[in-house]
Amino acid sequence: MSSSDTQKTAPPAERRLTIAKAMSEAIGQEMERDPSVILLGEDIGKMGGVFGTTTGLFDQFGTDRVKDTPISETAFIGAAVGMAASGMRPIVELMFVDFFGVCMDAIYNLAAKQSYFSGGKVACPMVLMTSVGGGYGDAGQHSQCLYATFGHLPGMKVVMPSNAHDAKGLMLSAVRDDNPVIFMFHKALQGMGWLGTIAGSISDTPEGDYDVPIGKANIVREGSNVTIVGLGATVHHALEAAVKLADAGIEAEIIDLRTIAPLDRKTVIQSVSKTGRLLVVDDDYLSFGVGAEVIASVCESDIGPLKCPPQRIAHPDIPIPFSPVLEHSVLPNAEKIRNGILSMIGDQK
Amino acid sequence: MTDIIVPRGQWEEDQEAALATWIYDDGATVQAGNIVCEIMVEKTSFELTAPADGILDIEVAEDQVVTPGQIIGTIV
Repeated sequence: MSSSDTQKTAPPAERRLTIAKAMSEAIGQEMERDPSVILLGEDIGKMGGVFGTTTGLFDQFGTDRVKDTPISETAFIGAAVGMAASGMRPIVELMFVDFFGVCMDAIYNLAAKQSYFSGGKVACPMVLMTSVGGGYGDAGQHSQCLYATFGHLPGMKVVMPSNAHDAKGLMLSAVRDDNPVIFMFHKALQGMGWLGTIAGSISDTPEGDYDVPIGKANIVREGSNVTIVGLGATVHHALEAAVKLADAGIEAEIIDLRTIAPLDRKTVIQSVSKTGRLLVVDDDYLSFGVGAEVIASVCESDIGPLKCPPQRIAHPDIPIPFSPVLEHSVLPNAEKIRNGILSMIGDQK
Repeated sequence: MTDIIVPRGQWEEDQEAALATWIYDDGATVQAGNIVCEIMVEKTSFELTAPADGILDIEVAEDQVVTPGQIIGTIV
């Protein structure tokens, strides 16, 4: 090799992980640290989870702590609530959020209310991790998001990472929380090749222990002309749109909610007080959704800074189509975000 | 310079393999042992690790079909 002064010094290698790997790593480290943490779910054992959330954990911890269950969400999620009441810290996987129907009594009548009904004497430290989102042609029963459905119900925290760093930190926070936490992960970000992966979700992830606090949004891009609020996949659509908007002289501030409940209203309100414009983008059904709640929170606080009516982009109030052509036409994307902001700003800036 | 080579004997000969995801960008610094990309064969993924420390030079783009023995990138 030539002399070092003519060579560029390469930056240190990042520790880049997919969200799937980051979730598995967080769960494995918590299981090592805390013997009361156990895993239950369909195909989470030998297979390592259909979405790679439990890779390697069966070999590491064995059948006593990593339990493959029958296809009966009613039974194993109900069992997890009981385990949580008895001093264990179960993590359960509901493979697709779309199938919450059969186990919702255990989730919102039992888990979410356990602490309240017992006067705070019996906590419910369980994590329910579940896949959300579409975009890969899996139709109306395997592609839903249902953020608002879960965010609406008191007694549960609901989180969703947009990248591997946040996935690990949020999972560590979720497992250590004494309340039930719904940990949603978006299929388009998971890092499973057959689903396609949005590149921005793969990120530098520390090997050691850290937490990403539940209830704290993250400003992922600073800007002065408009606030875009997103979560999961739509954060990446917003980032893509922001590059094109910058070419047109419009600087977008982008907030990644990271937590749906409790919602970090303060961060959004502060941003909008600076930019005066608000667009909320999510891929759940439009009506009564995350966008509605965020916009209402801003308007209730102070409409003074608003230069134009807040807007939202979401999936229309119809079942998610199977045909890829139809599905992609109804899902949010960078182009829709860019056009939405251009029409909000119009001639003013 | 060390080649990153699609492994042989990991899947059936009549199965089509595709390069699903590059975990690191072209030109990124990697360490030996880092998972640098994933190859999909039907719905099963195979991870390839960096064979050496250095700078990743990507030669085959995502979504391209790859075959066992093929060089898909190098570590410079």
